[in-house]
Amino acid sequence: MASTRSAAGRAVARAVGLGAAAALALTACAPGSGSDDGGTPPQPTGPVSTDVADAGDVTLTVWDQEVRGGQDEQITQLNAAFEEAYPNVTVERVSQSFDDLATTLRLALTGEDAPDVVQTNNARATMGQFVAAGQLVALDAYADAYGWRDRYPESVLQYSTYSEDGTVFGEGSLYGLPQVGEVVGVYYSRSALDELGLEVPQTWADFEAALQTAADAGRTPLLLGNIEGWPAGHVFGAVQGAHVDPAQIRDLGLGNAGASWTTPENLEALGQLQQWQEQGWFNEGVNGTDYDAAWQQLADGQGVFLVAGSWLAPDLQDAMGEDAGFFAPPPADGGELATTGGTGIPFSITTAAEEPDVAAAYIDFLTSDDAMQVLADTGNLPVVDTASYAPESGLLADVYTAFGDVSSQGALLPYLDYATPTFGETLNQTLQGLLAGELTPEQAADALEADYADFTSSGG
Amino acid sequence: MSAATAARRRDAAPEAGPARGPSRGSAAHRALSYVVLVGFALLALGPVVTVVAEALSPERAADGTGLRPQNFADAWVQGRFGDYMATSALVALVVVVAATLLSIMSGYAFGTMEFRGREVLFYLFLLGIMVPTEVVVVPLFFDLRTLGLTDTVWGIALPQVAQSVAFGTYWMRAYFRTTNRSLIEAARLDGAGPHRVLWSVLVPIGRPAITTLVLLVFMWTWNEFLIPLVMAPAGRLRTAPLGLALFQGQYTQGTSLLAAGAVLVALPVVVVYLVLQRHFIRGMLEGAVRE
Amino acid sequence: MRGRAPRGRATPYLFVAPALAVYGAFLLYPLLRAVQFSFYDFDGLTVGTPVGLANYAAVLTDTGLRAAFGHALVLVVFFSLLPLAVGLVLAALLVRARVRGLPLFRTVVFLPQVIAMVVLAVAWRRIYAPDGTLNDLLRAVGLDALTRTWLGDYATALPAVGLIGTWVSTGLVTVLLMAGMARVPKELYEAASLDGASPARQLRVLTLPAIRPEIAVALTLTIISALKTFDLVYVTTGGGPGTSTTVPSYEVYRRAFELGEVGAAAAVGVVLTVLVFAVNLVVNRVADRQR
Repeated sequence: MASTRSAAGRAVARAVGLGAAAALALTACAPGSGSDDGGTPPQPTGPVSTDVADAGDVTLTVWDQEVRGGQDEQITQLNAAFEEAYPNVTVERVSQSFDDLATTLRLALTGEDAPDVVQTNNARATMGQFVAAGQLVALDAYADAYGWRDRYPESVLQYSTYSEDGTVFGEGSLYGLPQVGEVVGVYYSRSALDELGLEVPQTWADFEAALQTAADAGRTPLLLGNIEGWPAGHVFGAVQGAHVDPAQIRDLGLGNAGASWTTPENLEALGQLQQWQEQGWFNEGVNGTDYDAAWQQLADGQGVFLVAGSWLAPDLQDAMGEDAGFFAPPPADGGELATTGGTGIPFSITTAAEEPDVAAAYIDFLTSDDAMQVLADTGNLPVVDTASYAPESGLLADVYTAFGDVSSQGALLPYLDYATPTFGETLNQTLQGLLAGELTPEQAADALEADYADFTSSGG
Repeated sequence: MSAATAARRRDAAPEAGPARGPSRGSAAHRALSYVVLVGFALLALGPVVTVVAEALSPERAADGTGLRPQNFADAWVQGRFGDYMATSALVALVVVVAATLLSIMSGYAFGTMEFRGREVLFYLFLLGIMVPTEVVVVPLFFDLRTLGLTDTVWGIALPQVAQSVAFGTYWMRAYFRTTNRSLIEAARLDGAGPHRVLWSVLVPIGRPAITTLVLLVFMWTWNEFLIPLVMAPAGRLRTAPLGLALFQGQYTQGTSLLAAGAVLVALPVVVVYLVLQRHFIRGMLEGAVRE
Repeated sequence: MRGRAPRGRATPYLFVAPALAVYGAFLLYPLLRAVQFSFYDFDGLTVGTPVGLANYAAVLTDTGLRAAFGHALVLVVFFSLLPLAVGLVLAALLVRARVRGLPLFRTVVFLPQVIAMVVLAVAWRRIYAPDGTLNDLLRAVGLDALTRTWLGDYATALPAVGLIGTWVSTGLVTVLLMAGMARVPKELYEAASLDGASPARQLRVLTLPAIRPEIAVALTLTIISALKTFDLVYVTTGGGPGTSTTVPSYEVYRRAFELGEVGAAAAVGVVLTVLVFAVNLVVNRVADRQR
């Protein structure tokens, strides 16, 4: 037995030596040099075609993150309608959650057999990097052919626009089209508010007073499921909107130089979020609660308010019916209505797509007027001409109103994770730390500032 | 792995039942033993029971009360577990067949033949048992992508065949070394070549060892997560565990269907385990060095 | 016959060749490539540039990576040392008890070994949830003060993940140790008892030396599985809250395929491999020396 062991030892030593020698031999050929495409990928330069029927039999692989009730419904309907309109096209749909998309999309785009159309988050960490790596097709020619610039306001398109090297966000070429508008606001249970004798708050101070009233009555004022890390970012977006100048937030969110995370206003916002937690205004253990468990708790009557995005509306409508309500986070006294929002995650075409013309036709189809009607019918918030689809009553009417009010009278602020290639992760970790009391507001602000300043000073 | 060699040479497998001989242990000792036995078993079963119970519970009040086997059918459809299980079965088939055949052949050579470089080559195989998947999966992805093997069954299966062959060679060599030399000699005198000796004489009597190998390789392959995650990025070929991990994020309405999906994914291996558990336990104790 | 002689000499190599080809191409070669990658700054998209030892320096200096390796060491305690301690006591108690049902017990405590880690992770994530089984149990026995969100609390997330490993390993370790203890002749214990040796002394003087090979196997298996934890973290916490449950395997995946730091990922993988080899050698050396 002993001899076996020492022999194994020798084998290890021998193999390590062998490995070192072979590794030296290998260094002649650097990693990545073997792959076929090292240079810039082909971008459609010639005239683009909008004729799908002539393209022959095409299978279009589409990666989306439309997993929630109404989202799933709309994309299923639209895919079927597209296949019916163009029998020569088969749509192969691969759907996964926002989180799983974040962990697998980069790998998928790197793969030999990358999907043709993908939903890719606008952030620098995702769309920005994919543009820089030449993995997404610039859509400008298609925008002209299909008239997308007339269909969409510039304020929407800017969030899907990057310079060709991916460094400038908001200017350059168009790389994706969103289907829906989004606004982060406050869901609530009408019956819970009635029981507590509360009205929908009109100012931020009213909102805080309402939270206090709910807490005093022994209810859980705020629900949050933050095991994924990013949900707290949306709550913070609403809090920050009530404290910090929108122009300042926009610079922070887009990763443009000139702003700072360590201003007194930002510290105050971070402090308020932590204070809410310390006062016990959130459900117990927010960092260990699933995002979806939080809205299910609201539906079960376990809490009063839930700060979250409009994409939860179809699910909550299903679960709560008439009892569910929604309002935009109210402004501070004398302040402007301001909250996180903008557009849903845009659909982009990959440079791996063999039939970019068909892919573009698909995106055009998903964002057409008919598609907007389908979106509205399935409880989503169409991004084009939103107000014209507004229902008359119920939760969705509230959501449309909030979106309309914030976009027309206030400021729809970018998602904070757009800022830098690493900001999503930094923000998640920082807010989890802040909520757990691991970080003081000052430390949290320093951590966020470090990431932001590092990026902006490096000329990004 | 040398430690496993030691275990392999242990004469008695854990078959050893209750000890015989004078019972000094007294009733108290026995009672305590039962308490520990039952308590430990309950602890081991607890989480399994929890997930099965959750899988059978109604998702929401509207679904009524009582057991709800319908959840399994719902999860099967909504989570696309049919596709995932089919992929898993295909990958497992390729890996099990290839790894078993190759291991029998190489184990035969290492266990019954003399040749130059035998020791070095064998230890080279042993080395592979210890290499973590994490380190090889990174270059494998980039190299197989260049070869166009990502997003194919081969891209998922071949790295696992390689891992299983490392263990299988070790395992089959151990079996062939214990076979009776005179059997081989007798067959040779009858004019059988090395191939006939292997396939007609040794393999039939080696069924227990081969069965254990087949079961372990099947289990490892079915349960593998990282390789299918990385090697099939386009999402068209997803194995059952990967499908389950994604279903966790995708399914937002509650937890019952997720639990049902988890039970579905675990079921094939668990059923085989319950039927052939002696093979499993023997294999895991004597040679579970791979994991 | 003469004509066959040269072929006969080639026979062993022909039997080994297919296995060696697959093994070499899909395990050994990628291992060497990983070593090569680790000396490059490579984003997975463009041609890499050599950076010498910078990636290894980062493993030592990058606080995130150092934390990940630190977490892996904590997991070793939970995956390996804790099951060994528990297993020793349980095995010593059970092996000499005259109890029925040991085969059934073995089947049950082995069950976690055959279920995919992803499935176990899904089950445990539910158990640890704020409204999950664990908190329900605590509330039922009046320990409301102890309830917490196990996976969301900085203080408990890593131990909570670790305890899943304890749960998985303990059955295997116990059965393994029982098999070893069954080998020790009963007469020795009887003699020791007559000499007035306490059970603790019997364990130390008689049992431990005899089951050293089994302890070595148990440690090797469980330490390596602790170092290689990937799917468990991927499904339960994703490294959070904050970075409190990051582990090296997860860093390899994240850096290579999410962040595009392929060279750094390869370096982490190589360090992990060296650790696994070192654990194997050290455990077996120690087991040898004390013999």
